[in-house]
Amino acid sequence: MIQLFHVSKFYDRCAALDDVSFRIDNGECVILTGPSGAGKTTLLKVIFGAEVPDSGQILVQNRNVARLRGGAVPYLRRTMGIVLQNFQLLPKKTVYENVVLPLIIQGVKRREARKRVLDVLKAVGMEHKQTIRTGVLSAGEQQRICIARAIVNSPILLLADEPTGNLDADLTIEIVELFRRIHAEGTTILLATHNERVVEQMNGRVVHLQEGRVVSDKEAPS
Amino acid sequence: MRPLYLLREAMNNLRVNRGNVLIGIVTTAFTLVCFGVFVLLYLNLKNVTGTLQSDIEVIVYLDPGVSEQAVALVQKRLETEPAAVALTFVSEEQALREFSEQFPEESLLLEGMDTNPLPASVVVNLSPRFLDTESLSAFAERVKQLPGVTHVAYSQDWVDTLTLVVSYFELGAVVIGMILAMATVTIIANTIRLSLHTRKEEIEILRLIGATGVFIAIPYVIEGTILGAVGGGLSLVFLKGVFEFLRLELNASGWFVGVEHVLPVFPRQVSFLLVMTGMLLGCGSSVLSVFGLMKARN
Repeated sequence: MIQLFHVSKFYDRCAALDDVSFRIDNGECVILTGPSGAGKTTLLKVIFGAEVPDSGQILVQNRNVARLRGGAVPYLRRTMGIVLQNFQLLPKKTVYENVVLPLIIQGVKRREARKRVLDVLKAVGMEHKQTIRTGVLSAGEQQRICIARAIVNSPILLLADEPTGNLDADLTIEIVELFRRIHAEGTTILLATHNERVVEQMNGRVVHLQEGRVVSDKEAPS
Repeated sequence: MRPLYLLREAMNNLRVNRGNVLIGIVTTAFTLVCFGVFVLLYLNLKNVTGTLQSDIEVIVYLDPGVSEQAVALVQKRLETEPAAVALTFVSEEQALREFSEQFPEESLLLEGMDTNPLPASVVVNLSPRFLDTESLSAFAERVKQLPGVTHVAYSQDWVDTLTLVVSYFELGAVVIGMILAMATVTIIANTIRLSLHTRKEEIEILRLIGATGVFIAIPYVIEGTILGAVGGGLSLVFLKGVFEFLRLELNASGWFVGVEHVLPVFPRQVSFLLVMTGMLLGCGSSVLSVFGLMKARN
């Protein structure tokens, strides 16, 4: 699914990623941990093509992301769902309008799109709020909408960067449970967090980053 | 689903940025009014020149007391000229009668004379193909050589001057049109850039979920095109209004009785040209503004 070979990325001669190599197989759940500035966000960014590594290769479903042309990046992103800490929702649009966007972009027919949106909203427990603008929702609700939008096109890979960073303890448990359910349905997950409780609760393989290097890679407890 | 979404987004852009959009529309309309005034002046001057040029006649004056055979010979030779499309013989008596009718006060001067001083003539109407200066002077030179012809008269000089003025106008219209077009492009492009800036976060989100640069850019191109078309339409309404008012005033003045065909015209093509120019300028400017979006990775 994902293979990184000696990936390095520098910002002003400072290494954000330093010779990172590892592999994620189909259906795996990988938790990327490490303190702030360890390179977790940069690693996710090079995987979804927002950053180009200075050296090394990244294969995502046998496509070399490091050598991908700018025009091909959107098509790569359509194969994955992306959840970020700051939600990245359109506050003036309704829940439905936000979640249906990836399907509009991919040209899915209206009836099919409606069915899929309602299905995912039901899965995240937000079907009753589909006509409400996302700007007025609580943080937990916004993150659930964000997850719904990320999985509405049934991606094979879900990338999440500190998805519980803005949430309190109760909401964190709720969101982590949602990720576990999505993983149980067969989606590969790569989740970056520095929250120890999230790491424990996700119960997946743990890759620990420090100063841009992989310092440990622990298999998921069976 | 996608075309509907893109159109809705464009309309939404126009609504959200209505202040800037309004400025863009008014400025586009103003520049297109200036452009339209030049185009109309140019077309009308050209129309007047064309009308006057088609009325040019060559008058072939004959010797006093010229015989009927000589007149017939001159007419026969003129008929063989490819430039001549119609000939009208004006006898000495007819010339005197016409002079008295046209200038009743001056006709008293002729009453004391024993003989009619006005010569007979042949009025030649020319084919439009031979109305240029060179053809006219060549024709006059040939006719002058005919026996019984004293003088050949035609009034080309001032028509030539008018033609020259029209050609300067043509050049002026192109130069000013280009300057105004550049101004319009800058204004619309800035309006679209402001629109892009306002929706920066939204663009980032669209990129994150797999939207291509073209998908993101289309609503802004539609926005610019609508803006340009509305500006063009507004300039058309203004110009047409002012034009009709002036036309009514000129008609009422009575200066153009009998020569209504030289009154100003507002060709339908000009209306089309204004709106299309607005649309093209709007579309072109927005394409320029969103060009970076198409190539950007993030």
